[in-house]
Amino acid sequence: MSRPGAVLEVDRNSPPTLFHFGEGVRLERLPLGSRILYPPDPLEPIAHPERAIRRALAHPLDDDPLKELLRPGMKLTIAFDDLSLPLPPMAQPDVRQLVMEEVVELAAEAGVEDIHLIVATGLHRRMTEDEIRHIVGDRIFTTFWPDCLYNHDAEDDDENVRIGTTPDGHEVTLNRRAAESDLVVYVNLTLVPMDGGHKSMATGLATYRGIRAHHNVDTLLGSRSYMHPPDSQLHHSCIQQGRLIEDHVRVFHIETSVNNHAFPTVANFMQKRETDWTPADQATYLALKRLSDLAPRDLKRTVFHSMKAPYGLTGVNAGQVDQVHDRTLEAVRKQMTVEVDGQTDIVTMGLPYLGPYNVNSILNPVLVVCLGLGYLFNLYRGTPVVREGGVVIMTHPCRYEFDSVHHPSYIDFYDEVLADTTDPAQIERKYERRFAEDDWYRQLFRKSHAYHGVHPFYAWYWAAHALAHAGDVIVVGGEREVVHRLGFKAATTLADAFEMAEQTVGRYPSVSHLRTPPLLLADVR
Amino acid sequence: MITEALAGKTLLVTGSTGFLGKSIVEKLLRSVPDVGRIYLAIRSSTRRPAAQRLQREVLASPAFGRLKGELGEAEFERLTAAKLAVLEIDLSRDGLGLSEGSLARLRECQIVIHSAAAVEFDNPADLSAQTNLLGATRLLETLIKTGNQPHLVHVSTAYVGGMLRGLVKEELPHDPGLNWRHEAAVLTTLRPAVEEESRRPEVLERLRKQARSRLGPAGTPAQARQVERLREKWVKDRLVERGRVHARSLGFTDIYAFTKAMAERAVTELRGEIPLSILRPSIIESALAEPQPGWLEGFRMAEPIIFGFGRAVLRDFSGLPDSLLDIIPADYVVNAVLAVAASPPPAGEYRVYHAASGSRNPLRLRDMYDQSREYFGEHPLRDRWGQAIGTPTWTFPSRGELTAKGKLALRAVGAAQQLVERLPLGATSTRWSDDLTEQQAKLERSLNLADLYGVYTEVDCIYDTHNLISLWELLPPSERATFPFDPATFSWHHYFQEVHLPTVIRMARADTGPRQGPGPSGSTAPKPETSSALNTLQRRAGRTDVMAVFDVDGTLIETNVVEYFFWMRLRDQALSEWPRFLAQMAAQSPRWLYLERRSRAEFQRSFYREYEGLEAEEMRLLGREALQAVTLRRIYPEGMRRIRRHKEAGHRVLLLTGAVDVVVEPLAELLGVDLDCAHLLQKDGLFTGDLQSPPSVGEARASLLQEYAGRHAVNLAHSFAYADAISDLPMLELVGTPVVINPDARLSQHADQRGWRVERWKMAPGNWRLPMPDPRSATHREAARR
Repeated sequence: MSRPGAVLEVDRNSPPTLFHFGEGVRLERLPLGSRILYPPDPLEPIAHPERAIRRALAHPLDDDPLKELLRPGMKLTIAFDDLSLPLPPMAQPDVRQLVMEEVVELAAEAGVEDIHLIVATGLHRRMTEDEIRHIVGDRIFTTFWPDCLYNHDAEDDDENVRIGTTPDGHEVTLNRRAAESDLVVYVNLTLVPMDGGHKSMATGLATYRGIRAHHNVDTLLGSRSYMHPPDSQLHHSCIQQGRLIEDHVRVFHIETSVNNHAFPTVANFMQKRETDWTPADQATYLALKRLSDLAPRDLKRTVFHSMKAPYGLTGVNAGQVDQVHDRTLEAVRKQMTVEVDGQTDIVTMGLPYLGPYNVNSILNPVLVVCLGLGYLFNLYRGTPVVREGGVVIMTHPCRYEFDSVHHPSYIDFYDEVLADTTDPAQIERKYERRFAEDDWYRQLFRKSHAYHGVHPFYAWYWAAHALAHAGDVIVVGGEREVVHRLGFKAATTLADAFEMAEQTVGRYPSVSHLRTPPLLLADVR
Repeated sequence: MITEALAGKTLLVTGSTGFLGKSIVEKLLRSVPDVGRIYLAIRSSTRRPAAQRLQREVLASPAFGRLKGELGEAEFERLTAAKLAVLEIDLSRDGLGLSEGSLARLRECQIVIHSAAAVEFDNPADLSAQTNLLGATRLLETLIKTGNQPHLVHVSTAYVGGMLRGLVKEELPHDPGLNWRHEAAVLTTLRPAVEEESRRPEVLERLRKQARSRLGPAGTPAQARQVERLREKWVKDRLVERGRVHARSLGFTDIYAFTKAMAERAVTELRGEIPLSILRPSIIESALAEPQPGWLEGFRMAEPIIFGFGRAVLRDFSGLPDSLLDIIPADYVVNAVLAVAASPPPAGEYRVYHAASGSRNPLRLRDMYDQSREYFGEHPLRDRWGQAIGTPTWTFPSRGELTAKGKLALRAVGAAQQLVERLPLGATSTRWSDDLTEQQAKLERSLNLADLYGVYTEVDCIYDTHNLISLWELLPPSERATFPFDPATFSWHHYFQEVHLPTVIRMARADTGPRQGPGPSGSTAPKPETSSALNTLQRRAGRTDVMAVFDVDGTLIETNVVEYFFWMRLRDQALSEWPRFLAQMAAQSPRWLYLERRSRAEFQRSFYREYEGLEAEEMRLLGREALQAVTLRRIYPEGMRRIRRHKEAGHRVLLLTGAVDVVVEPLAELLGVDLDCAHLLQKDGLFTGDLQSPPSVGEARASLLQEYAGRHAVNLAHSFAYADAISDLPMLELVGTPVVINPDARLSQHADQRGWRVERWKMAPGNWRLPMPDPRSATHREAARR
């Protein structure tokens, strides 16, 4: 039985607390009486993943066994989540590989010949050969690449179809191959409660016209808790679209969940509470700290991004999407939930080197905002950890750095749009259309490995709720000019940040620190 | 006295497009409303006829702002139409090139104010002699020929006496026993000899070397033009030098003072029955009160020094701190001219007047230094970071000492510049080189100033103003207020702090206020104020006959042909082969660097030999991969934005590059633009290492562009070209809007001289990587195995 999540109070005997700091780490002393939220320890993984997968496929929830859905001569499409999940990428074999191998085997047994595997990238970048190979494994890769294993292309007008309009009047689009298949098997990996369910198909295989129905400022401001689907307008909208898709094409959902064993042995200390650090952990911390202080950025980035997580499978469910997703959410919550009493004036968080949109890439300033205020801030159920009007303090070097292959539209978003305004609603009104329809971004999105032109907008909208909720945002250790461009305040040290926060929340504020990653979900009561 | 004497008179003013000339005309119109008619001696220039010059160069001047304000536009037009008339006179021709009608009008003139002169101290010898000396004699001879005997007011300079000590009387200057006719003949015939000298083999050879070092890769025509420009400059410098040495050897401060002195001799000798007044102002500076305080045109003598002091460029200045610096406000000179014009000497006589401050209200060099210190202490100039610049402390060393020090520093900077230009460092070396060029310019400027004006700060004499003050004493009090010209009536403190120094700052458009808000920083977009090209682009939106041509390597992408090749070859080989290949490349690199500096074409030819024996199809595939791995990673976001802007504006966009098709075609396809690049010959599916056509560099690029423009009906004069290297010069020269991107040292200097737009585009930081494929990639391993 693994240890559940905990809230520990900082007292005189507490060791300093770990803060992630981009491609680096720092130990900080939090004020006495601050509370630190620790995620539960990794759950015991399923001992025989293959067996569990086979069982799930043979005994689906509210659906026929997969074997019975397969017949010779049918058109089968397997779609799967792209590299934005999980974070960091999973050490091989990826659970999706295990699931897909099983599905492909069943299909082969049933005599299915027309099988396509599509990476459900949505408006994310095309994955490279190597990245796809990492997820699907050598066997599937060599069999299907490149003709029957490829990335979804949301900007190919011929390869996407409009399948209807939801009761709310939103357009629903779908990858043509998927739409015309006799069966779509969706292979998912759910890391946080926001992912999976109907959202998988409704965003992963859709186009800009479909996705903009829920990826917009209004919807996100209306989603009081991104991580609690019933409270989230985002999910309502996705569910409507998903239902329409299910009316149109037969979908068999397979969802998997993993534990939170996010860091390999070398970075074991990141996984543990500071009080549990062994001398070996302290030594690795020191070594890593030295490396990250001294090494050139490229080297640091290479080292950090080559870390693969030894996740263990905690659940696999197949069948009808609603039932499957309920089970998955249960497993995910079990792994993440920390019960917290009430809100505090300040929440602090250390931002790591990695967010969903910069795997093998740079966490640029816009993505820093997306990660801190869009994701970590929203890791709650019910109400945010920080009270309305409170202060969010984040640590990240926040450099003016962009990956020009993956994030070309982010560069222009930062240079042009943020120079004008940081207000999400205004940004949406004034600029979204132009970026979304820009020919050059469209070309880069389709032929290179660039995120869609509109993607930086979504990254920014994701922070809309936090921007409206927080009274102030302070970035510790960030490049001053960059932080100002983002519309925040820059502090050199954490102590300075607390001093600055005083103006908003008074002399003796209450403080919570999210000790994450590994990810946690604060259940605030 | 003045108004009465001038009422109803017909005047001729020469040099009316000059500073003093138009000030005189303005004062006449404003303060002597009853003046009869004023003829302005203006010559038609090659660009516009005389009547237009009157409007554009005289009446449009801010000098007339006050009068326009007082009268209103309509009344002003009426007044000028009634009083002013152009008299086409060409002082450089015998007989002044007068028509019959003009001659008749010249005959009407009762007063002639001759203020035309080539006033720069560093004019070529022949120009000074033509304008200052022969101009005056021609005017006088023509006046005599008309049979008329108008009062001639000849404006000269106080420095005609040369470098004297003690009191300088208002009489003809000392005569070093020179014949002005002979001097004029010598100086005006210097040019052919110098031209001849400039074509001597050793001179031409040296100039050619200079041109090649600066413009080598730009091609032969560009080099040839550069040699001719250098030669013309050489001739001019020689003539200036000749004039200066000539004047100094005869005891004059410079060629201006010398030719003016000769002119005084000439006019007194030739005057016949014409009453002649010679007015010698000292150093004319901005007006004290009229037409407005601080009225000044062009930087004159003291301004460069004052400004150099304020900017701390002149770290020190030579001169005697207690020597008199004889400065006189322009409006005082104007009034003195009018007073003199109103009091002609008897026929056949001449009288000399000094308009100088030294005897009545002395200003010492140290006073000016103190005034400037006080002023810049309160209103410091700002550097480009908005920081206040502290003023230097001058120790007033001797001129020799200062010059020696300066020359030494200049030589050091020159040597450093040579070194930096040869470093293969790209943008870094450009930055260093720009800094050095700036340093060099500063040093040269201060040396020049010390050389030109240093003499004036060592003049140890006082100009007697007895004659002028006698006129002043005759003036009734009412006119004294309207036409003040006694230097004792103002204070230098007021003049410098309230009038002159603010004018200097205003004219230099220097910043004295703190900077307004932070500019956008840390961004790949150029600062808005630097991108005037964008405005031009907007203005030409929607025109289909406009094109934008972009160089690729170095302009749109921070890379060159070598890096692509490097990447593709590494990608093509197994990891174990890398060291051998890298060693091969390293051994070749010095030769390539040398060739690249000499000529782009030679370099490309030599480099493309490396492609020999490679499979064309394979390279084509690798080229597509290189797009992701090299091209798009090293791209300048602003370049992409600019191309899109051009496309949005409906312009035709062409990429013109020497890179091979396999690596640039994918980019052009992605951008959806036209492309002209190098193609390699193939035989049996293998590259032979030869180019299909000569590399398009230098002038070849220009002709390619012309051909393209002809084919697509493009108007090059309204088109844009973006490039980064000196070898693109011919292409840049061809279009109306050349934009220089991250220029190399040599192109940077060119752009600077021609006022071309220079933009600095940056890669998004964090993307610089060695052009090396990831050896961990499974795909790479598999491909290499195949």
